[in-house]
Amino acid sequence: MMNIKRIISSIEKNYIINNLKKEERIDGRGLWEYRDLTIKNNIIASAEGSADITLGDTKVITGIKYEIGEPFPDMPNEGVCTIMAELLPLASPLFERGPPDEQSIEMARVVDRGIRHADCVQTKKLCIKENEAVYILFVDMYVINYAGNLIDAGGISALVSLISSQIPEGKLENGNLEWTGKYLTGETLVKELPLVMTFGKIEDMIFLDPNLPEELICEGKISISTTENKITSIQKSGYATFSVDEVKMLCQKALDLGKNIRKQLDLWQYKVKN
Amino acid sequence: MPLIIKDEYPEKLFREDGKRLDGRDKQELRPIKMEVGVIKNADGSAYLEWGNNKIYAAVYGPREVHPHHLAKPDRGILRVFYRMATFSVFDRKRPAPGRREKEISMIITDCLEPVLFLELYPGTSFEVFIDVMDADGGTRCASTTVAALALADAGVPMRSLVSAVAVGRIDGEIVTDLSGIEDKAGEADLPCAITWFNEELSLLQFDGDMNLKDLDQYLKLAKDALTKIYALQLEALKSKYLTIQNESSGGE
Repeated sequence: MMNIKRIISSIEKNYIINNLKKEERIDGRGLWEYRDLTIKNNIIASAEGSADITLGDTKVITGIKYEIGEPFPDMPNEGVCTIMAELLPLASPLFERGPPDEQSIEMARVVDRGIRHADCVQTKKLCIKENEAVYILFVDMYVINYAGNLIDAGGISALVSLISSQIPEGKLENGNLEWTGKYLTGETLVKELPLVMTFGKIEDMIFLDPNLPEELICEGKISISTTENKITSIQKSGYATFSVDEVKMLCQKALDLGKNIRKQLDLWQYKVKN
Repeated sequence: MPLIIKDEYPEKLFREDGKRLDGRDKQELRPIKMEVGVIKNADGSAYLEWGNNKIYAAVYGPREVHPHHLAKPDRGILRVFYRMATFSVFDRKRPAPGRREKEISMIITDCLEPVLFLELYPGTSFEVFIDVMDADGGTRCASTTVAALALADAGVPMRSLVSAVAVGRIDGEIVTDLSGIEDKAGEADLPCAITWFNEELSLLQFDGDMNLKDLDQYLKLAKDALTKIYALQLEALKSKYLTIQNESSGGE
């Protein structure tokens, strides 16, 4: 077992901070580097889309299920996509059983907003009949091992699940729901590919992708979601404050890093081939 | 509203050639893959793929008991939490634990307790978290099997391992290791687990109808299957240490 404590000793804390001052990380990374990322798609036979992501030692499994329901009155021709996060007590001694706590709600909300405001899920394609029947997609993220930065791992896992999704296409005939024999796939449902990037801040030092000890001593974090050339959502958390210049610098960083990562990951390779 | 594709069962559970729908013989197990030490944060952990079932188990303990009033002054306690992911089944499961999950958690706790030396750990708890990511029949048996592996991986003193399997009857024939469809459309289902130190049954349920002769047959077939599963468990435990040995000696 790794030695996991809620509180990091001052010796370890000073060690991390002194390294950061030299622009070094305790795991050998540079300030703007991610840990190793692995992606597997379509791993859950029962789900309509799924992904297994590891980011360093952080591991998240995400699956998609759908239900058919009535649309919201103000969006009669649009389906709904909801995102949920479960921090399983299996994943860390820091997680407790029980209803979702602040950390899991934040993870789900930040990932959700990154996707919602990016023109990612084409909710109009999730309409079966206006005012009557639409798809409700449930994107549920399960944390299997927690070693820092759940938001970025969750963001990619939700996106890969959506890209690799395959949802039975329905039609409404005389009030009866029928299967057309075809599927709606990620290719139809997903347009933009939002990536969320989380930066940690300790004193005046800022770095990408905090690992667990870094996250535990962080004074604050900022998560920035970007598409190819737009910033779509920002979440600042923790008690640190960020200057305007820092925020501008980080937004630019997120856009630049996003371009490279998008190219590197080539996320469309995870779509289902018809 | 209902889902677009309906969850329907076929009328016959055997193919023309006498094999089961997934191509197995009557007493053949589904493919089983086990691995230990998969969750780095846990004191012990294991992962199991059993047919389409995909299950993680993690053990934390001995540790302080929360809530405190559950602690026992003369012995440790074992708590098992069996949960299914929302996407592990055909109809999305509600995220909150249901009655079924609570019952299975209790059954597995009772099943594993006899192999532990809880009297050596007064005032503490061992917590076993079992999370089913994908389900296709027989998850309580698969969960028991993987939980025993995780306990062994955690180095918790045990009298022996525990293995579990379900046997049952489909279309009038007795078969081993029911799949999801066979479980729902079949006529009888008997999940059972064995504690190897005394070779007795530690988990036993039955749904269906049978006579005493059937019971004898069920338990005989279960024992054969359990022996095979036990061998796989031992292999999974050993292979972790073989990997470490090979790494530290730089290979063979």
